[in-house]
Amino acid sequence: MKARLERRDDGTLALRSPCVGLWREAPRLGSLVRAGAPLGRVEVLGRLWPLEAPPGAAGIVVEVWEPNRKRAAVDYDTVLLRLDPEAAGAIGQSTAGPDESAASGLVFRSPMAGRFYRRPAPDKPVFVEAGDVVEPGHAIGLLEVMKTFNRLVLGGELPPRVRIVAVVAEDGADVERGEVLLRLEPA
Amino acid sequence: MPRLFRRVFIANRGEVAARVARTCERLGITPVFGVSEADRHAGYVRGHEQVVLGPGRATHSYLDMERVVQAAVQSRCSALHPGWGFLAENPVFAALCEAHGLTFLGPPAHVMHRMGKKTPAKRAMGDAGLTLIPGSEGILADAAEARAVADTIGYPVLLKAESGGGGRGMRVARDASEVERAFQEARAEARAAFGDDRVYMERLIERGRHVEIQLLADRWGNVVHLGERDCTVQRNHQKLIEESPAPVLAADERERALEAAARATAAIGYVGAGTMEFLLDGDGTLRFMEMNTRLQVEHCVSEARTGIDLVEQQILVGAGHRLAFRQEDVRIEGHAIECRINAEDPFDEFRPAPGVIERWRAPEGEGIRVDTHVTEGYEVPPFYDSLLCKVVARGRDRDEACERMIAALEDLVCEGVATTVPMHLAILRSEAFRNHRYDTGSIPGWPQESR
Repeated sequence: MKARLERRDDGTLALRSPCVGLWREAPRLGSLVRAGAPLGRVEVLGRLWPLEAPPGAAGIVVEVWEPNRKRAAVDYDTVLLRLDPEAAGAIGQSTAGPDESAASGLVFRSPMAGRFYRRPAPDKPVFVEAGDVVEPGHAIGLLEVMKTFNRLVLGGELPPRVRIVAVVAEDGADVERGEVLLRLEPA
Repeated sequence: MPRLFRRVFIANRGEVAARVARTCERLGITPVFGVSEADRHAGYVRGHEQVVLGPGRATHSYLDMERVVQAAVQSRCSALHPGWGFLAENPVFAALCEAHGLTFLGPPAHVMHRMGKKTPAKRAMGDAGLTLIPGSEGILADAAEARAVADTIGYPVLLKAESGGGGRGMRVARDASEVERAFQEARAEARAAFGDDRVYMERLIERGRHVEIQLLADRWGNVVHLGERDCTVQRNHQKLIEESPAPVLAADERERALEAAARATAAIGYVGAGTMEFLLDGDGTLRFMEMNTRLQVEHCVSEARTGIDLVEQQILVGAGHRLAFRQEDVRIEGHAIECRINAEDPFDEFRPAPGVIERWRAPEGEGIRVDTHVTEGYEVPPFYDSLLCKVVARGRDRDEACERMIAALEDLVCEGVATTVPMHLAILRSEAFRNHRYDTGSIPGWPQESR
């Protein structure tokens, strides 16, 4: 199991628990942690799972969750360790994402927050593929909202025929209301 | 005399968790909530002990058995209440709890397993003297088998999730051409909702009414029923309104079914609270559909008529106590109605309406009970079902209960998200509802006729 990495505003890195369990053999204060380093073990229902530092983790341990316990009960997302990357001279990593604002032209946005599926069933072909030319009324995916599957149908103010430039949202992705699912152009 | 538990882990969320915790606290038991990241700051867990299970998605939090059991163990609980939904009817989960020293507040895993496999359950209930609905012998392997079974039993047919409940994972096929799509859709929804994509088939009995029987059993073989509930007002198999007594049911058929259900419950070695669901067909016969081996959303209707707290009984029975009353001690009185208020817009095809509840006021009044987890400022997460609250109204008769419910719903304030309150009011005021002219296929008084 890998701990989850969070970059904090103060420049430190937080390593968070990926599970619920009893954490033992925690690194000591002041020790050096890099990606792949062992972070002790987590006991889940009597079994011990080795825990390791995720990619991007590098620094000196400046804080440990319940350092005086041999076995510390942790929740999902409990901050196990805080690392100071500067103390280790670690390399900063760019976290900039792709520039969304460059998207111009027609898009299809999710009408609700939910989970987007590109296929009617896991063993079925996708509804649409980049390059397809479709008309309004065509189903382009499923949106699971509150455990109900809704068919997403092209509609609204679109040209009579559109070409799908790109399917932006991944299959099974959690999407927000208004998030761009497809980029389109008139065909 | 067996003692009670000190700490009970609540493996559920929202209204369910709030309901179970209330009884725990009344009994002097400390509730510990297992929560997802999406629920960790919700009002109903504030000031209580909690363990964060995982991210908002239920598959990685409320449905992850190992996380839940480990969380209960490390928070030093000795019993676990599964509520309803999520893992409540999962026998592996019940067994995992017991294996790690947690008392699962539900029936024994093997009984749950048998009744959870809905087709074997039907067979067992048939043997115990209950009348059945024609359907497939077992799980359907593929669409082709679905088609073959449908052709034999006759259309229309209903595809149902083997691990289903709450109306999810069900699809109707009216003729042969619809079977494949219905089969695939039922499977996909069942997989998402229950983590199990097995489906079976039953003949769809249209124009039927949904009637169910509340049962309660201890470990010593004692069984009582708490009367029946009518859940005929449904939309896409989702119950909207439940009431007791069933307004359309012959007295002798009621007696026969209540007695047979209690007998069958004893026959399978059931323990705890459970419900047998029946379809009341056109001839007035109650046909067994399935047994829900858990408490149900609408259990409050039976609580309102009997004065018995079913969560308390589950806890007592789970701790090994005998039922403190016999069938003849159970007084079933008056009429009770429950409305499920969902965050859905009834004027826009019941579109789910996640969002922030800016103003909230729950109704009060004589004979009114409200079960909810909602407080002002609550954000309805997109991950879970849309139930906001349940309003239960009790009266001497059906008309009084209806009038009290109408007054209560008029008092309910919910701003920020759309709710189904306008639909409930239209139903309760409709002549069709008052005169019993409806069935599971049509909502009485909705959609409203435009004038």
